[in-house]
Amino acid sequence: MNQSTLALGVEAVGCAAFDAGIKGAFGYPGTPSTEGFEHVEAMIHAAGPDRVAQWASNEKVAFDLALGTSYTGHRALVTMKHVGLNVAMDAYANAALTGVQGGLVVLVADDPGMHSSQNEQDSRKLAEFAWLPCLEPSTVQEAYDFTIRAFALSEALQVPVMVRLVTRLAHCRAPFQRQETLPPTGVGQVPGDRVQDWVLIPSNARRRYVDLLAKQPRMRAAAAEFNRLVPGTARRGVAAAGLGRAYFTQLILEYPELAALPRLEVAAYPLDPATEEAFLAQVDEVLVFEEDYPVLEERLGVRGRARVRGRLDGAVPRTGELSPRVLKDALGLAALDHRTAPALDLPVRAPRFCEGCGHVDAYEAVQEALRAIGAPGARVFGDIGCYTLAAQEPLSAIHGVVEMGASISLAVGAALAGQKPAVAVIGDSTFAHSGLPALLTAVESGADVTVVILDNRVVGMTGQQPSQALDQVERLVLGLGVPASQVQVLTPLPSKHAENVAATEAALRASGTSVLVFRRECIQSLRRGVLKEHDRELRERQACPTCAPEVQP
Amino acid sequence: MSATRIHGIVLAGVGGQGILSMAQILLEALRRSGLHALQSEIHGMSQRGGSVQAQVCYADTPLTSPLIEEGGADLLIALEPLEALRYVSMLRISGHLVTAEDPVADMEGYPPLEDVHRALRAVRGAHLLDTESLARKLAHKQAGGMAILGLASRFLSVPEAIWREVIAQRFEPKGARIVEKNLEAFSAGRQLLPDGVEA
Repeated sequence: MNQSTLALGVEAVGCAAFDAGIKGAFGYPGTPSTEGFEHVEAMIHAAGPDRVAQWASNEKVAFDLALGTSYTGHRALVTMKHVGLNVAMDAYANAALTGVQGGLVVLVADDPGMHSSQNEQDSRKLAEFAWLPCLEPSTVQEAYDFTIRAFALSEALQVPVMVRLVTRLAHCRAPFQRQETLPPTGVGQVPGDRVQDWVLIPSNARRRYVDLLAKQPRMRAAAAEFNRLVPGTARRGVAAAGLGRAYFTQLILEYPELAALPRLEVAAYPLDPATEEAFLAQVDEVLVFEEDYPVLEERLGVRGRARVRGRLDGAVPRTGELSPRVLKDALGLAALDHRTAPALDLPVRAPRFCEGCGHVDAYEAVQEALRAIGAPGARVFGDIGCYTLAAQEPLSAIHGVVEMGASISLAVGAALAGQKPAVAVIGDSTFAHSGLPALLTAVESGADVTVVILDNRVVGMTGQQPSQALDQVERLVLGLGVPASQVQVLTPLPSKHAENVAATEAALRASGTSVLVFRRECIQSLRRGVLKEHDRELRERQACPTCAPEVQP
Repeated sequence: MSATRIHGIVLAGVGGQGILSMAQILLEALRRSGLHALQSEIHGMSQRGGSVQAQVCYADTPLTSPLIEEGGADLLIALEPLEALRYVSMLRISGHLVTAEDPVADMEGYPPLEDVHRALRAVRGAHLLDTESLARKLAHKQAGGMAILGLASRFLSVPEAIWREVIAQRFEPKGARIVEKNLEAFSAGRQLLPDGVEA
């Protein structure tokens, strides 16, 4: 199997997990992590019934699925984007204390520059926070190799191991060499004498926290094997991690004189202070190239041994992603000569709703209903998905977007403070992700809120993965206590506009929680036939008199 | 140690035009020619009708940086003229530009098309291709992209046989006729330049 394969960096992680013998892969979609799960899912499905791949309703659920798999002694991969780790943080931070049985690797894809995200947080900080190791590849081959090694490390240290990618590596396509695929055999479930390690009542947790801290020297030693000190003749050095390391390595090819700079190449954390000291002893000044937060920069800076330069002193821009140009500017290398086009004002071509998207029809109905009740300027709380595009012109239909599932609670909070009407707009998958507890509280609060669920039957923006709430949005809504009289299912089509406006108007005038489900399949998934097979089976079951009552939404 | 020459290609277009697919064909063709190549792309929101850009870089030694900088592109390939203009500054002084003339103008503030074409023609060595007419001539609605690639291929040192092999494999799942139509479009584009202008 030692052949060269072309794949994205994030796919190489999925492929490595498969080759490392995982029993299960779990995740929640989120750019730029999505294809990591999809890649291993395809491999698992092609390989037969011995392994499982399962999207979860959110990242915390996905993490716990992986931890449960680990409990049985099997290896597991869990994938998410950086802000998804916030959702999984409770599980992640506490799995540090339980430890793992089968190897558990957490793929987290950060998004410096916020190509498709609401913030630029650095997952290395969260690994440090949880006292857990983090590996940071810089190439597609390393993404594969480090993931393979992460499983071994996870089992050796009995902790979850994070593999941190950033967008540019996650979506870099390159060839890589695979290793032999291991079968998904396990090491056996948590043995009887270790069960208490997994029961985090205070008496056990105190002991396990001491154990976790006692593992730190071994984690540092393991990380040190990934990190490299390269001597040089200059008194100015470079410390580089992740893509900073990739860019600098390539700059040496183009500017061979850079090889004279001593460098600290960082690929794993926690860092070993001895390595840092050894590096700093060779230099008077250090330039630090790392994605997102000044993690290395702060660590090297506090030692006071050399002048440390990077994001904190402005040698590198404080925000945004690195690029070869950013490194060159910091190193004092001249920019390249380039062509210039004759001056012409180039308007931005912003992303927008697909032609014929049902979300647009739903928003237009909501906006017209708001006008009809005399509240055309009412603030509407939105959520995360394709439908976030409505925040921009021409619709300008939502006026607050924070994090997954926030819309409902924001609207309830505003309603409780006196806002009327209070409207939330949320997609079906986001509703399943973290809207469910919010809707329960909405009902419980008694606040007058209207929750608009845009049900396009898939996770649209990330590539039309199946939504966990597929075919059961109304049942979920009713089950959470919204009265049936205040739940309406509508079809967002131009031809149904008048009746959708009337229904929305009624919901806006209702007391307590009212829910409008606008259901029409995402036109991209419709075009690709994503749900074709599912719908055929559904129709068959609905036609069957024995099982029909159970499958009606 | 002498400096390594790193070659760059920028591909630009609008979400849905097939930029990422074209980038993958390029990557595979370069790789089969014995070169070390990397490709960079951005997924997510931008695919919803926004500007899409991909980059390919290659050299005769292994590379690690998926991004090229302004002035680092030897070739700019665009499927839409306004998108081509956005990336002209990525080109080296000696770089080449190959672009479709036909606009995707369903947006606010699209400049007059003749201004866009004039600006592109002012870029020395620019090649503008009327992909719509070509598609009509070949009776193949999707011919434009492949013809652009064919024209652009003249500026790359990849043997024609490798191009044909990679394109054939790419479209194989869609059937022999689709393979043939795409190879035909590629050849039509490739033959638009007289012999002897290769890079």
